[in-house]
Amino acid sequence: MKKATFPAVISTAIVCYLFWLCITGQLAMLFEGEAAWQVLVAGALVSLGVGLFAGKYFIHERSFYLWHPARLFTGLLYCIIIFPWELLKANWDVAKRALSPKLPINPGIVKVPVDLQSEYGQSALANSITLTPGTITMEVTEETTDEGEQDYFYIHWIDVATAEEKEAGDAIKGTMEKWLRRIWK
Amino acid sequence: MRYVIDALIVISIFFAFAGVVGMLRMPDTFCRMQSATNISTCGILGVIIGGILYSAIYLGNAEMAIKLAVMGVFYIITNPIAGHILAKGAYKHGVRPENKMVVDRLEEDFEQ
Repeated sequence: MKKATFPAVISTAIVCYLFWLCITGQLAMLFEGEAAWQVLVAGALVSLGVGLFAGKYFIHERSFYLWHPARLFTGLLYCIIIFPWELLKANWDVAKRALSPKLPINPGIVKVPVDLQSEYGQSALANSITLTPGTITMEVTEETTDEGEQDYFYIHWIDVATAEEKEAGDAIKGTMEKWLRRIWK
Repeated sequence: MRYVIDALIVISIFFAFAGVVGMLRMPDTFCRMQSATNISTCGILGVIIGGILYSAIYLGNAEMAIKLAVMGVFYIITNPIAGHILAKGAYKHGVRPENKMVVDRLEEDFEQ
């Protein structure tokens, strides 16, 4: 296990401090100008301590990568508009299947190629797929071919339209991978 | 605005209902899990967003709204990990659906 670098500690501490502000209710008080300074200072000390211990587990790549404004904006857009829309469509589809009298399901496990290289990007995509009703990521593998390394997801799909890898990938990932590629390469 | 909040909560109750019906009707473990995801996404998020709007606008309580938002974020982060591990564990343990799956690449690639 590599040691925690200084930027990794700071980056982790910022995230922890934001959570501290939300949970203790100081964020709302900051806007009203009546935050208690003791709570703010204690939170800063505790999040620095947590950053020292947890930084090396939390940050594996460049530390301030996500704090870049363009990437932060794309990420927020993905979380607030793009992904909920996909979620709503998939929810409606699965709810219709569950309530229809014939129960039109067609389950199977398909293999899907993934173009993201970064491990954060891959875990974001895998979690997005699992959170979408109708698809669950079951295994992540890496295969070495002549052209380099290619990652694959094994996905349990409730309505297998096609078993062909590329087409199944387009149908399952939809627009999600295109948006995640703008954040992580 | 009150109608928007009510509509959000009614929609999420509908999705939770559909999820429960699906859990009872689906034929095997993995399909049941798919239906359970239905409850845990739209079924929960609608209630949380409705609660945020209600506590921010009608109760004027920003602290409660922020805490609800943090709850939603934690829920979204932790839920898929649990679902993934449950499905993978069930598969590794040897749980297979009664009716054959259409295609099972996991079995083709990993078990000789």
